[in-house]
Amino acid sequence: MSLTHDLSRNRRATLEPDTRPGPRRGRRLSRRVPPVVWLLLLIPFLVEVGWVFYPAFNSFQLSFTKWNGVGAAQPVGLRNYTDMLSDPIFATALRNNVFWVLGFGGLSVVTGLALALALNKPRRGVGIYRSAIYLPMVFSLAVTGLFWRVMYQPDGPVNVVLAGIGINTKEHQWLADPNTALGAILVAAIWRQAGYIMVLYLAGLKGCDPALEEAAAVDGASRWQRLRYIVMPQLRNVNTVIFAVTVIDSLRTFDIVWAMTRGGPYNTTQLLSTYMYQVGFTLVNLGYGSALAVVIFLLAIAFIITYLARATRED
Amino acid sequence: MSIPTPTSVNLTRRGLLAAGAVVGGSALLSGCLGAANTPAASGASNANVSLTLQSSLSDPKPKAALEQVVKGYTKYPTTLNTVAIEQFRAQLSTYLTSGNPPDVLTWYAGSVARDYASKGLLLDLSDLWTGNGACANFSPALKSLSSDAGGKQIFVPTNYYWWSVFYRKSAFAEWGVKPPTTWEEFMALCETLKSKGISPLTNGTGSTAWMASGWFDYLDLRINGAAYHRELLAGKHSFDSAEVRKVLDTYAKLIPFFDPKGRSYTWQEAATPLVNKKAGMYLIGAFVTTAFPAGDVDDVDFFSVPPINPNVPSAEEAPTDGYFASASTKNPAATKDLLGYLASAKQQQLFISQSGSSNLPTSPDVDSSGFPPLVQKGMKLLAGTKEITQFFNRDSSDALQATADAALTKFLDNPGQVSTILTDWQTAAKKVWGS
Repeated sequence: MSLTHDLSRNRRATLEPDTRPGPRRGRRLSRRVPPVVWLLLLIPFLVEVGWVFYPAFNSFQLSFTKWNGVGAAQPVGLRNYTDMLSDPIFATALRNNVFWVLGFGGLSVVTGLALALALNKPRRGVGIYRSAIYLPMVFSLAVTGLFWRVMYQPDGPVNVVLAGIGINTKEHQWLADPNTALGAILVAAIWRQAGYIMVLYLAGLKGCDPALEEAAAVDGASRWQRLRYIVMPQLRNVNTVIFAVTVIDSLRTFDIVWAMTRGGPYNTTQLLSTYMYQVGFTLVNLGYGSALAVVIFLLAIAFIITYLARATRED
Repeated sequence: MSIPTPTSVNLTRRGLLAAGAVVGGSALLSGCLGAANTPAASGASNANVSLTLQSSLSDPKPKAALEQVVKGYTKYPTTLNTVAIEQFRAQLSTYLTSGNPPDVLTWYAGSVARDYASKGLLLDLSDLWTGNGACANFSPALKSLSSDAGGKQIFVPTNYYWWSVFYRKSAFAEWGVKPPTTWEEFMALCETLKSKGISPLTNGTGSTAWMASGWFDYLDLRINGAAYHRELLAGKHSFDSAEVRKVLDTYAKLIPFFDPKGRSYTWQEAATPLVNKKAGMYLIGAFVTTAFPAGDVDDVDFFSVPPINPNVPSAEEAPTDGYFASASTKNPAATKDLLGYLASAKQQQLFISQSGSSNLPTSPDVDSSGFPPLVQKGMKLLAGTKEITQFFNRDSSDALQATADAALTKFLDNPGQVSTILTDWQTAAKKVWGS
């Protein structure tokens, strides 16, 4: 609440001088930002250009060539992109990525929100639960992957526990079966992400006004109605952050898949990111790898621009 | 959400920006200094040459062994950089094409080295192979493996290992079975072990899917022969051919004998059932001995995959490791001196004994009498075979290996779809050859 308030005040403050006549505005601006600051700004800008924009631009250029890192890159026009259309692994990776964004995004947000709502009220021991659920977040995704790989072994804990509660999985090979492999990785990824989302929502729920919910309860609103019409609108700012974090996290997912299956069995768990890594860095086919990177970039940008456009319009 | 509010005094923001700029600036400045320093440093050391050895041997024991070998080299100061193999593979072309490349690099003999040589990136090491050179008395097979298309030697092999079917002697004695000498005996042995409730074969085709190529290579060598196998991997035959179909039909007969859990295992994990006598045999490289507890290594024995087609010459897989040097090294003479040292009988022996693998020396001068019986048997196997191949990826390329991984693991899961799998494999392989 206070954040938006401050923001709007600040916006008014900066807008004010803009309404004044031109020359005065210029003088005022230059007084506000002395040249030395521009100079100092220039340095990080150049670092950014050299280390981020230039390599990114280079990647665009490389995507129109055939290059294995040795000698000169051969221009091939759009061939890398037309090859993609007939590449069965690319099709699988794209399908898997859609599944991943929906599954990872949807389930981690739903689980995280449910946990936050359940653990929001102060109760004895609630801190222990919150920390326990947040704990997986301290592991890197690669470590999470290695840990779950052991869990999913044919004679590993997952099958033992399932057998213990009467579900005979016949030593199911979760990661070796193309039908269950990606789902099994998804469970591991959500196990780690849900705690993070929960903490973000808990912080958001702290900012909600309890009086509003009480008033709604007095007026006879059901629990669901209170959540839908009273709490969720107040969580709008948190939702913005969570949406951005989740979309970016799901598009950049790489390490957990690489640690658990390396895109196998027979490329059925390839995501665009793992396939790009394999093509670009294991097979050193930098042209095609760059073309895949460009596709990932365009997808991410498309997502984020659509979202930002929508979010700013709502403002 | 603790986002600092934008209204919080302008000074703070300016202070932050200034601090950021100072940090960024100093990073940039030190970057410039570093860049300026490097040529100066190497210019100064021209009188006192120093060498860099870039190594992909990142497993603890081989890494320590190479460190010990390099420590013993005192003629020129040598820096050993060990890089994890995945990263090494990805960056190898960058290393070789950089302006200031490492002088000596660990890698594989055969088509990979030849590929770099054809682009003029490797130092001509022919001196080492003639006269008093360190490799002059290596076997002709190793020499041809280390030569480029023009007949120049561009590689220094220092050790190699063999692939075979490994088993535990005590386990075979317990089960009352003997190592087979014919294909029929081998299949009968598999049946016997299976009837005793033991998985006859183990294999780790989970995240090390390339292990599936071991049986493919051997069956192709036994059915179609080494010449056909080499041509197939070079793109002169189709994977969609009757010959390859025959290989997979034989492979299909082995599938029921594999431990089904191997689909989830790495090659290391797949050795556990063999160690625990839950599985009988494992077709793998001699490096499998590193997976055995120290006390059990003496119990390990092997037999060669029995012949299938009597009309093809005997053949074994023997991947060869060693070193090559960058063509743009600043000190070719010193680089060759280091390579000569690494190839010497004494250093080969030190490396092999310290690295704990069952690798074989390439130098005939290494005194092998102290080697374990298993290693001596391996040397005899390779000395007696008519043809030597390396392994699928080393005889072709990593890109073709990726197509084999997908095709063969899919085949192991769905042997019934062999026709479509082979068609898809050929389509994928054509892309690799065509690129």
